[in-house]
Amino acid sequence: MLKVIDLDKSYNRQKQSLKAVSFTAKPGEVTAIIGPSGAGKTTILRSVNQLIKDDAGQILLDDEDIRQANKSDLRRIRHHIGMIFQNYNLIGPLTALENVLHGRLGAKSTFAGMLGLYSATEKNEAAKLLQDVGLADFALQRCDQLSGGQQQRVGIARALMQHPKMILCDEPIASLDPKSTKLVMDILRELAQSKQLIILINLHQLDIAQTYADHIVGINQGTIVFEGPERALTPEKLQAIYRQPETKAVTADAN
Amino acid sequence: MKTVKQAPISLPPKLSLLTRPRRILRTVLGGLTLITLYALLTLNTAGLKISSAMSSLGNNLNIMFLHPGVGQDTWSLLLRALVTSISLGLLTTILGALFAFFIAMGAARNLAPAWLANTIKAAMAFIRAIPTILWVLIYSVVMGLGASAAVVGLTFHSIAYLVKAYSESIEATPAETIEALKASGVRFWPIVFQAILPSIIPALLSWTFIRFEINFANAVAVGAAAGANDIGYYLFMASGFYFNFHEVGLIVYLLLAVAVVLEIISIQLRGHYLKQN
Repeated sequence: MLKVIDLDKSYNRQKQSLKAVSFTAKPGEVTAIIGPSGAGKTTILRSVNQLIKDDAGQILLDDEDIRQANKSDLRRIRHHIGMIFQNYNLIGPLTALENVLHGRLGAKSTFAGMLGLYSATEKNEAAKLLQDVGLADFALQRCDQLSGGQQQRVGIARALMQHPKMILCDEPIASLDPKSTKLVMDILRELAQSKQLIILINLHQLDIAQTYADHIVGINQGTIVFEGPERALTPEKLQAIYRQPETKAVTADAN
Repeated sequence: MKTVKQAPISLPPKLSLLTRPRRILRTVLGGLTLITLYALLTLNTAGLKISSAMSSLGNNLNIMFLHPGVGQDTWSLLLRALVTSISLGLLTTILGALFAFFIAMGAARNLAPAWLANTIKAAMAFIRAIPTILWVLIYSVVMGLGASAAVVGLTFHSIAYLVKAYSESIEATPAETIEALKASGVRFWPIVFQAILPSIIPALLSWTFIRFEINFANAVAVGAAAGANDIGYYLFMASGFYFNFHEVGLIVYLLLAVAVVLEIISIQLRGHYLKQN
């Protein structure tokens, strides 16, 4: 269970980007964060694994506050949080298999990690995961030769290699075509159920969120304006989530 | 459709293509021609006859390049000296690359704090600004003339050169790929060796090889100055002491052969890595 409580963050003094953000995400469910551009979706997601240092609040993953963790605790917690990205962020010249094996690096000593010493079990597991995401034939291909959808699936396999409790997905389908989008989202939903993972996902596309998410968090200008199951998302709630700030509305009228 | 009626262009009575930049260029060229003529006419040749001097030059070139020979040194001596030069270049490149790789970590802005990166970069720029041959002479003051001063001096300059090349290659790795591994709890050194290094190996290889070519050329020059007993030293002795132009020609051909071989290897290496890319 992920519990985020009263999270604040401001990048500069004038504008607060997150204001007392609280929500929960449960294992076995896909939780989608939706909202207009600049609402703070990415800031929330990156605070959860502390790639962004927030200002105040609590982030509890199975009752352990990641904000209080010291350097080595943070590494340990991060190792159990997989992350996939809009641009996949794989190492292009390496093979798909090597990129998946990178999911184990966080569990290794500095020395073994430096040399990339993987056990036979780990290699077999990586190959199995690639098979699971439908890329068995591409295991030994360089990642920069794969299509976007294939790279994103390598990214998912890399995240699974970490044996995660949670997978954070930062706009995972923003660069994908509709067919790859469906494939990737199907895999994520299936994973949440079969492995009882917490899947926390930032989405631009409302229709995808409504199709795939069990739980929805709506954010507007750094404030949570909706949290609840997908079916509770009424048109009024949607309007509140995607409401434009006053100043922008005025400019739009002027035009 | 509206047709625009154009007024006829009125030409000035005398159209000149001699624009201002062209006028300046002609003036400069004319001036240089005048200076050259003046210099040639008033040159103090001190008994030198241009015609005979030209034929001697032709004769010398003929001896050098059409009749190369070993002179007073033997083939085995010259070949051993050539190997010494190559080894000098190779050794200093390997040493330089090794040191440079680790220093470059500190000089790359995406890995090290800004103050450290800037300090290292400034120091390396300072070392690079002083030519290799001067570093060798500076070290020969400390260590005495000879091979060790040549090695240290060449290595020193190689490090500064390679740190710049390497750190810029490291900075070219996208920050997001590094972030992706950081987000999964990977430590610093595994990220360097598993993520950054595989991405930049072609660049590192090609920079290192260029430096090897430079170091080989420098080793020849440095050999003469520091008395490192390599091919540069024999070239210096043959041309300046024994005036044995047969040997000078031979040595030039040997150096040329090595340069050609290095070029071929470098093309092969790049081809090999680019194919993988």
